[in-house]
Amino acid sequence: MPLHLTLNGQRHSIEIVRRTPHLVLNVDGRVHEISEWSAEQVGRMVNQNEAVVVSRALVDDGGRETCFVRIDGRTHEVVLIDPREDSAGHDSTRDEIHAPMPGAIISVHKQAGDEVSRGETIITIESMKLQTALAAPRDGRLLDVLKVAGETFDKDALLARLEPADEA
Amino acid sequence: MKRSQTPEPLFRKVLVANRGEVAVRVMRTLHAMNIRSVAICHRLERNAVHARFADEAFEIRGNTPVAAHLDADQSIALARDCGADAIHPGYGFLSENAAFARKVTAAGLTFIGPDADTIDLMGDKISARNFAVRHKVPVAPSVQAQDDMASFVEAASAIGFPLLIKAAAGGGGKGMSIARDASELRERARIASSEAQRYFGDGRIYAETYVEQPRHIEVQVLGDGKGGAIHLFERECSIQRRFQKIIEEAPSAPLPETTRAAICDAAVRLAAAARYKNAGTVEFILGSDGRFFFLEMNTRLQVEHPVTEMICGIDLVRVQIEIAAGCGLPLSQAEVRAGGHAIECRISAEDPDAGFLPATGSIRLLRAPAGEHIRFENALDEGQRVTADFDPMLAKLAVWGKDRAEATDRMVVALKQLTILGLRTNIDYLIRILESMAFREGALHTGFVTEHAETLAPASVDEPLRDRILIAAALGQRAFRDAISAVGEPYASMAGWRN
Amino acid sequence: MRKIQSLISTASAEFRRNEARNRELVEKFREKQEEARHVRPKRDLERLASQGKMRPRERIEKLLDPGTPFLELSSLAANMAYDGESPSASSIVGIGIVSGREAIIRADDPSVKGGAWYPHSVKKIVRALDIAIENYLPVVHLCDSAGGFLPLQSQVFPDKHMAGRIFRNQSILSKMGVKQLSLVFGHCTAGGAYIPALSDYSVIVRGTGAVFLGGPPLVKAATGEESTVEELGGADMHTSVSGTCDYPAANEAEAILIGREIVAQWDRPQKWPIQREASEPPAYDPQELYGILPDDIKKQFDMREIIARIVDGSRFHEYQPNYGSTLVCGFANIWGFKVGILANNGVLFNDSALKGGHFIELCDQNSTPLVFLQNITGYMIGRDYERRGITKDGAKMIMAQSCARVPKFTVMCNGSFGAGNYGMCGRAFDARLLFAWPNHQIGVMGGDQAANTLVEVKANQMRRAGDPVDQATLARVRSETLAAYQEQISAWYSTSELWDDGIIDPVDTRNALGMAISVSLNAPLGEKGYGVFRF
Repeated sequence: MPLHLTLNGQRHSIEIVRRTPHLVLNVDGRVHEISEWSAEQVGRMVNQNEAVVVSRALVDDGGRETCFVRIDGRTHEVVLIDPREDSAGHDSTRDEIHAPMPGAIISVHKQAGDEVSRGETIITIESMKLQTALAAPRDGRLLDVLKVAGETFDKDALLARLEPADEA
Repeated sequence: MKRSQTPEPLFRKVLVANRGEVAVRVMRTLHAMNIRSVAICHRLERNAVHARFADEAFEIRGNTPVAAHLDADQSIALARDCGADAIHPGYGFLSENAAFARKVTAAGLTFIGPDADTIDLMGDKISARNFAVRHKVPVAPSVQAQDDMASFVEAASAIGFPLLIKAAAGGGGKGMSIARDASELRERARIASSEAQRYFGDGRIYAETYVEQPRHIEVQVLGDGKGGAIHLFERECSIQRRFQKIIEEAPSAPLPETTRAAICDAAVRLAAAARYKNAGTVEFILGSDGRFFFLEMNTRLQVEHPVTEMICGIDLVRVQIEIAAGCGLPLSQAEVRAGGHAIECRISAEDPDAGFLPATGSIRLLRAPAGEHIRFENALDEGQRVTADFDPMLAKLAVWGKDRAEATDRMVVALKQLTILGLRTNIDYLIRILESMAFREGALHTGFVTEHAETLAPASVDEPLRDRILIAAALGQRAFRDAISAVGEPYASMAGWRN
Repeated sequence: MRKIQSLISTASAEFRRNEARNRELVEKFREKQEEARHVRPKRDLERLASQGKMRPRERIEKLLDPGTPFLELSSLAANMAYDGESPSASSIVGIGIVSGREAIIRADDPSVKGGAWYPHSVKKIVRALDIAIENYLPVVHLCDSAGGFLPLQSQVFPDKHMAGRIFRNQSILSKMGVKQLSLVFGHCTAGGAYIPALSDYSVIVRGTGAVFLGGPPLVKAATGEESTVEELGGADMHTSVSGTCDYPAANEAEAILIGREIVAQWDRPQKWPIQREASEPPAYDPQELYGILPDDIKKQFDMREIIARIVDGSRFHEYQPNYGSTLVCGFANIWGFKVGILANNGVLFNDSALKGGHFIELCDQNSTPLVFLQNITGYMIGRDYERRGITKDGAKMIMAQSCARVPKFTVMCNGSFGAGNYGMCGRAFDARLLFAWPNHQIGVMGGDQAANTLVEVKANQMRRAGDPVDQATLARVRSETLAAYQEQISAWYSTSELWDDGIIDPVDTRNALGMAISVSLNAPLGEKGYGVFRF
């Protein structure tokens, strides 16, 4: 499957066409032969018979991979899209928080309307003498929390919901 | 100049009360002069370059790193405890804090800089201005803040608009704004005063004639503290954003010789009259009509000192130490020679395409430019985090050329070689300025960046370049490279064959 | 090794005539393939789209590594069966690269009768798994089938090599340590449910994938219990409650991504160290093959000209060049792999049969895979040859070929008739892969020969009965025989019945063999040994 990237807000895709004798890539439908390239952070790249020196640095920021690319005194930021994130799309499991086991609510940390970020704790539950933090599966706004502190619940009970996200 | 075989170092040990690239720069000269160096650093900067570069390093404490560096008593106590006999304050932090200078001296240490009284005199913008008037140094008509706003506005309006509102205790471009009529003046004066109170603890403001499209010209001076003073020619720092310098050069861009001489003489006159000791800079604004006005005097080493060093062939930090040690001035005015042209760019972690908003991140890739006549003053480590704890300036890049054109070309090459990736910087923006027609023609003034905002905006990316960028980014990803190498023969040679 | 010197003239009238005819044949092949691969009733395609499903070929393309080859097998299976109702036998099978590893991929085709398995589908799937077993080749199943085609259940269910063989093969593969991954895109019902269950890894698409021994209607009919597809066998239930499937996926694209990640965890098999050199393309243009193959099955041509357009650098080391001239034997490289080639230049005589047997033993001893290029009408018959033991000599060649432990590959370049098929490693002799060219014909004997024989038999019948020899009857016998043979000896029929692993364009032979040899190296060479040669 092609690699998807965004540059200046626009989405692009790159796919490998051929590996030997030279690397040939398809960029948005345009075919490019790269007769020389380097895996190093600073190296030469020869494409369509034009050689450039490329400086590169990858930044992984909370699941978002950005590549800084500098060519001839101009720096560009390219976001490398994680194919799993991309294809998972709108998925109800990402809107709902279910109880992983039966138990009781210890504390509710957020309320309806709160903006939450992925991984942020929404509810702390207790079960079998173990406390577990239930986190938001993605960035978004909390639609509602269906239980209060002290309430008990069964396995798989729906405890909280996020507002459906807009398609990006 | 004195010359000696294996001389006794002028000081045994100097504590550098600063951090980052200026601390490293000062220590470089200390090492060359065989003087032991001491660094101070906050816990957050435990492994910083300046701490590793010094002979000894000590931790300073404070709620924030900046607060730690502003704790005069702590630094002085550390200096005494480690047996230092002098303190170099660098620039920023406590370098223009007269109380600090006094405390250093009181503790039996030498303060490498001017006398505390001189710092007081020049630190107060209003008293400095009055001093300049007394010694026939031209100043812009101005009005000091009165007790009530109404009489201030009336007196100010009498000078004429536009007016520049400034903080009496301020500097570095903070608390400055322009008023073009009385109502703007009233409003901005109020804001400026409260800002000044917040930044400098002193709400006094004054208003002076605002020169349209002014050029910022400053003169490097050296004084022996006994009334003797020389200049090391001028620098031009007209390329600024938000009243802060980003590109400086020495000598200035094309300037009539008579104007140049007049400005330098005025600066020396002021320094001599103040019985100035050690290095300092007198700043002026120059209008297109040739009139120049005194702005302020900075009683410390300046950020842009390297360009003066490059055209004069002098190590200013060495001179500072020699003067502080009682050696007097290194040469006479007649012996000062300048050759060629030098330019410095301030490399900052900010996004020029988003209003110069400070940027944070980590330096994932660092490649310094190399070559003759290039100085890259920095204290950077690949992998270091750049946070909002300190000033966004990361480093300085200075180059020398036989003339302004050569220096400009060399700077562009050096900036293209300089690579700092992992966070946004102004490096590419600086290249665009230096490649612009206006810069090369020397059509400089402090509004340059705003006037040319459109032409300085990055050019659009055409399709071939865009494809190249995307390919480079893809090849930067390990998973993509693995997908290329994972396929062996004969499959790689058959590529996408189907039957 | 020396380059074969080609003796044909590409400008000759004969060359041009052959070329025209063969290009036409290949064009006909491509048309049939295009139809079998892509032409489907609009209604079926719309239904797939409305279910959010990709077409099976789309799934395969996304599964495969970009910029890598895919060798599809038996694309024209069932093309002459069921009135064409089951194009490609409702199944796609091929060898490709997934996450850098060789795998055999088999996909149900839900755009044909919901992916139901016809008898030929089952045969194709069993063959795919047999290939996996023989070559230690990992399998990726792309499951999306309605199950067995009930109207033909007697040809799908009960016998040894019918549906049950699929699950038996899966179990044996697992025992051998050869991995299987199932991506469940649709329903896996009844027997079909065992495919993911017997796979080492399985991914199931939420909403469209389901695994159950009986679907909701069957369950309701049997026990009265009512349930939805999701409740009964959906992704979430099987991946979190029953553990029948391993990974849920939100959609097909994600399922394929997960599948690729799974394959990326698999260790790479150890290949046995075949003799290998740097590869180079043939010195002669493979397109010239079209001009070499004659338009008449009875016309002879020199196999060396064929070899020259398949092997690396057209270089060939001929063995016993002056002996047994009707069988060309020798060594060559194909994509750098050293192979031993046997190719027919006429019928097999005593000397050529002995030469063949000897050469096969030499290759076996040398761990050199064998490539058989068939164009054989049979062994020589006649009194003289029988006295010299042609039957024994043919048997010895068959014995050597059957017992050889090196991988064998067969290409039906032209005719494959009678016992010649046997000696030259026909289908029954476990070639790892067997391909046919569009001009290929196969039968116990040629059409003309059969017609002549049957006419002779009929005539004898009439004579014995004392009747006059009726020419009209004989003519009818001849024409009916020819017609029947015409249909059943053609390459289209052979491939339809899965007597081969697919028709290929002659020009594709080099790549097909290159891939075939590469995958065959995953299986260890067995013990060397032969039966008794009747000397």
